[in-house]
Amino acid sequence: MTSSSPPDGIPRRNGELVFDAPWESRAFGLAAAYVEASGGGWDAFRAHLIAAIDQTPTAPYYQSWVVALDRLLAADGISTSPTG
Amino acid sequence: MTDDHPHHGDHDHDGEDHGHHPKPKLDIERRVEAIEALLVERGLITSDVVDAIVDTYERDLGPMNGARVVARAWTDPGYRARLLADGTRAVGELGFGGAEGEHLVVLENTGDIHNVVVCTLCSCYPWPVLGLPPRWYKSFAYRSRMVREPRAVLAEFGTALPDDVEVRVWDSSAEVRYMVLPVAPDDAATRSEEELAALVTRDHMIGVAR
Repeated sequence: MTSSSPPDGIPRRNGELVFDAPWESRAFGLAAAYVEASGGGWDAFRAHLIAAIDQTPTAPYYQSWVVALDRLLAADGISTSPTG
Repeated sequence: MTDDHPHHGDHDHDGEDHGHHPKPKLDIERRVEAIEALLVERGLITSDVVDAIVDTYERDLGPMNGARVVARAWTDPGYRARLLADGTRAVGELGFGGAEGEHLVVLENTGDIHNVVVCTLCSCYPWPVLGLPPRWYKSFAYRSRMVREPRAVLAEFGTALPDDVEVRVWDSSAEVRYMVLPVAPDDAATRSEEELAALVTRDHMIGVAR
């Protein structure tokens, strides 16, 4: 549980980096590219993301994002990953 | 190259063979790489497309877009009316649109009403006008607390509101994305749209600033 202080230090300027690490931007870009390529829209991905966040509410955001992407690919019969 | 090599090898072969404290790849990094390799192998995506998408979201989409929308609304009453009636269509007039902007609702702040936006379930956010959400917007603390105790959270953002201002919290859903239209400065009529846009921040348009 985080304390009552503002979450993660409040940025008060625009233009901050939206990704904290290269793998985060990659994970974002992969999901966006796949959603675009599959033509299915974001709804299915979002449902997986909501479920992943709900399972581990305090996990880092993009970690849940990767879990969601794995599950979406598995649901679409694409993933060969043994995990997830 | 300096001997310190502080970068974590953005695109270098950052193996474990450096003399200084090696930084093995994280599991999550390997996992993301595996997903990319799989999708490329299947011919579903190319890495160039991923590069282009990331580049767009890092550079071209951001609150500067929403700020232009706000400045236009402050200077053009007709536009303001259209924006409040149909956000998606009105931001489209300025060339903004695309994923996560299909059902945009613009919430107007007034002297008596302050709007603030949250997504309690995940991180829904109007990408075309605000870009990707900041880290705190996605945090468990913000998502869980903004609905329960908005005044306290707003105060932590430096936005303490008088009791006679009503706070309205809007929880983004799978369908709707929200953006706040802040109250125009008193001298808006005498200023250019560009000047006004420069006053508008992402935090104003989420509603954590007033």
